[in-house]
Amino acid sequence: MRRRLAVIAVAALSLSACNANSSDGKEDKGGTEKGGTLSILTSASSVTLDPAKSQNLAITTLGLLVRRLTTWDIQPGKTAKVVPDLATDTGTPSDGGRTWTYRLKDNLKFSDGTAITSADIKYGVERSFAPELSGGLSYHKNLLVGNDGYKGPYGGQGLSGIETPDEKTVVFKLKVPYGDWPWLVSMPAFAPVPKAGDAGPQKYGQNPISSGPYQVESYQQGNSLKLKRNPNWDQAGDPVRTAGPDQIVFQLGQDSAVVAQRLIADSGEDRNAFGASFVPPAQLAQIQQNAGAKQRLVTSEPGALAYLALNVTRPGLQDLKVRQAIQYAVDKKAFQVASGGTVGGDIATTLITQGIAGRQQFDLYPADPSGDVAKAKQLIAETGRPAPTLTLLVENGATDVSQAQAIQQGLVRAGFTVNIKTADEEAVTAETTGANADYDLTLASWQPDFPSANGNIQPLFESTEVGNGGYNKSRYVNGEVDALIKQATGETDPARAQGLWAQADKRILQDAPVVPLIYTKNSFLHGSNVQNFFVAGFPAYPNYLKVSLKR
Amino acid sequence: MTAVRFVGGRIVGALVVLLIVSVGTYAVFYLLPADPAQLSCGKPCTPQRLADARAFMGVDVPWWQQYLDFLGGLFAGRTFGSGPAAVHCGAPCFGYSFRLDAPVSTLIADRFAVTFSLATGAAVLWLLLGVGAGVLSAVRRGSAWDRGAMTFAVAGVSAPSYLVGLLGILLFGFTLDMVPVGGYTPFVDSPLDWLWHLVLPWCVLAFLFAAVYARLTRGQMLEVLGEDYIRTARAKGLRERRVVGRHGLRNVLIPVVTVFGLDLGQLLGGAVITERVFSLPGLGSLLLEAVGNVDLPVIVGVTLFSAVLIILANLAVDLLYGVIDPRVTH
Repeated sequence: MRRRLAVIAVAALSLSACNANSSDGKEDKGGTEKGGTLSILTSASSVTLDPAKSQNLAITTLGLLVRRLTTWDIQPGKTAKVVPDLATDTGTPSDGGRTWTYRLKDNLKFSDGTAITSADIKYGVERSFAPELSGGLSYHKNLLVGNDGYKGPYGGQGLSGIETPDEKTVVFKLKVPYGDWPWLVSMPAFAPVPKAGDAGPQKYGQNPISSGPYQVESYQQGNSLKLKRNPNWDQAGDPVRTAGPDQIVFQLGQDSAVVAQRLIADSGEDRNAFGASFVPPAQLAQIQQNAGAKQRLVTSEPGALAYLALNVTRPGLQDLKVRQAIQYAVDKKAFQVASGGTVGGDIATTLITQGIAGRQQFDLYPADPSGDVAKAKQLIAETGRPAPTLTLLVENGATDVSQAQAIQQGLVRAGFTVNIKTADEEAVTAETTGANADYDLTLASWQPDFPSANGNIQPLFESTEVGNGGYNKSRYVNGEVDALIKQATGETDPARAQGLWAQADKRILQDAPVVPLIYTKNSFLHGSNVQNFFVAGFPAYPNYLKVSLKR
Repeated sequence: MTAVRFVGGRIVGALVVLLIVSVGTYAVFYLLPADPAQLSCGKPCTPQRLADARAFMGVDVPWWQQYLDFLGGLFAGRTFGSGPAAVHCGAPCFGYSFRLDAPVSTLIADRFAVTFSLATGAAVLWLLLGVGAGVLSAVRRGSAWDRGAMTFAVAGVSAPSYLVGLLGILLFGFTLDMVPVGGYTPFVDSPLDWLWHLVLPWCVLAFLFAAVYARLTRGQMLEVLGEDYIRTARAKGLRERRVVGRHGLRNVLIPVVTVFGLDLGQLLGGAVITERVFSLPGLGSLLLEAVGNVDLPVIVGVTLFSAVLIILANLAVDLLYGVIDPRVTH
């Protein structure tokens, strides 16, 4: 989903080359006022409310309803931080990072008034293993002891990798050391679910029992989701959520162009609304001519990485020198223009994106943003063979095709022949993440599911992520990199882990399996009564937990 | 007896058509490389979890076997998974959406009220406007009215529905602030709000569809008005209104009703673009979401439902022929 949204973001920003970054991702630093009804206008027609099935970011929809053991502290201009949510801290590691212990805060209650206990956390995680509830973020499922063949709690079996020695303590036993476990327990599956309140996998998601500041008032799939205050939520124990509005209404299935027009018009109830979808190109250009709307346009800091994946298993790309030549031949400037200019994103040279702790800036293939054709030709000459003919697989959207043409024109300068092959989004996803990889190059975009360099590197470059739905679209397999990923993953000291991830970043790019193109930016529009609306670099989406209304 | 045989024949024909449509839909979507189980496997996905998801969703067997399972579900219902968490879809089971956690028949029932409200309201408008404008144009052939109405009709036939919808919203919603720009309120919640939210979509659809009817009616009426029996009626001294309304229009209605049946049946199956532009949660929106998410059970269910509606509309049209023109029954 991240990938899909990021691609849409690039599309949405493709028209205007002028500066839409009216707010630099920062907006309205006023205090949090209480009251009012906030409307969130979204093109999505349904919301996955069951934590086990959700891929929601910690700071968006589900974060309003359910708390997790930890959560994210996202502030404009600052690096994302993991902070305690239901737990008293972000976790105590032992056994070299194989065991993580959490203690719950005092006086935690569900929306029905019952106490939240460690058993509810355990049950929530166990549910995420049920095949009936597949689809959510699943990083933890590979790690917990006892996961082999475990199919959830509905057959009466518990997961041996989670212990609850008392009502307030929960202990996770992992198969391997995992330093980023505090980030994983911020994911939806780590929200508490009371066993007594679970009417079954198909029913619980209709109205989950809330632990956050809001609870579901009504949900009409395709029409609206209305949230009202949870009287049993205690602001004192939750420093991350400000819970400004009395009511939040998600207007579902909205056309993005109409949403943008409504927010530009800024009349009536739309003053209390913001768009959860990216502003479409036509309206982005319109906003530039409208001073009032321009003030309410918020563009993120550079976020997701747009990159060109080189399928290293293909005959034409097995030679490192050919892949290095592509690094120099690609015209990143042209790609940036095809993506909407500087408002579409900044030129990228690393795999770890901005806003992620421990990122190191470097450029292994220094060249003008338009490329270094002479250097590329020299590298091709050194191979002793002509530059190969390559197939570039991309989605069939207008922006995707423009971006592909920018890549094609860059590579042609160095003697490559590039044939662009377009397909529907689902078909491209199936081919690039499945077993049958009939492409040499493909364009992709990636925003990590959690703000750690681990999220930048592991899903895209570990050998286990080739095929079977994995996102290693370069089909890159390097034992040395796998070992480095394993070492960094198991490191519980954040500073040392960050050093290892930065090392992995450089090591991977030495093999040139991808060309980093741009760090993309997303633009959102909000009504004039909306305050505390900002979009950071990670994640490049509004922080729903902080938004409030002027009273 | 003839009528019974006629209806019986049509029902058998309809069942054959539905069977062909369902096979075609299944085959088309399973020939695509997209894998519904992979899309709902979670992130990251592992081979084991993918296999579990496929088994649970019933997509771990060849497509034809899945199709037979689907047909079996129509008569006997289906159960997905096993144990206490198994999902049961009672007969007639038109499939189960794992993305939306609901039987397809429930989803269609929930959304049909919106599409029905949209389609029938718009149909009444376009029929009145289109046929009315066509008759007037024919009667006043060559007049300013005729030229104006036909220019309007050409615009309606040529304009893309998405553009007309957006322009309607810009003009009547934002600039004149006369109507809401989208959304839906059920009739039972507030009849006035229901009407208020549907006025603009009705008008947009009526503009698009009335154009065809105006041109069709005008052409047919001109032809009919030149017939001998019309001359005879006039020679008998009948008033012009009666000649046109009683003798002319009745004969014009046969092709109009044919086209109307098809249009209404098609629209009841979901006005995809109009529903999207006006944020109406109808069948068209449901189908659009399902295609985007490779939600095959919903795609098959909505497609079959639309096919049923078109077949029923055609059947109704055939029966209406007999009412409009008694000669047809012979």
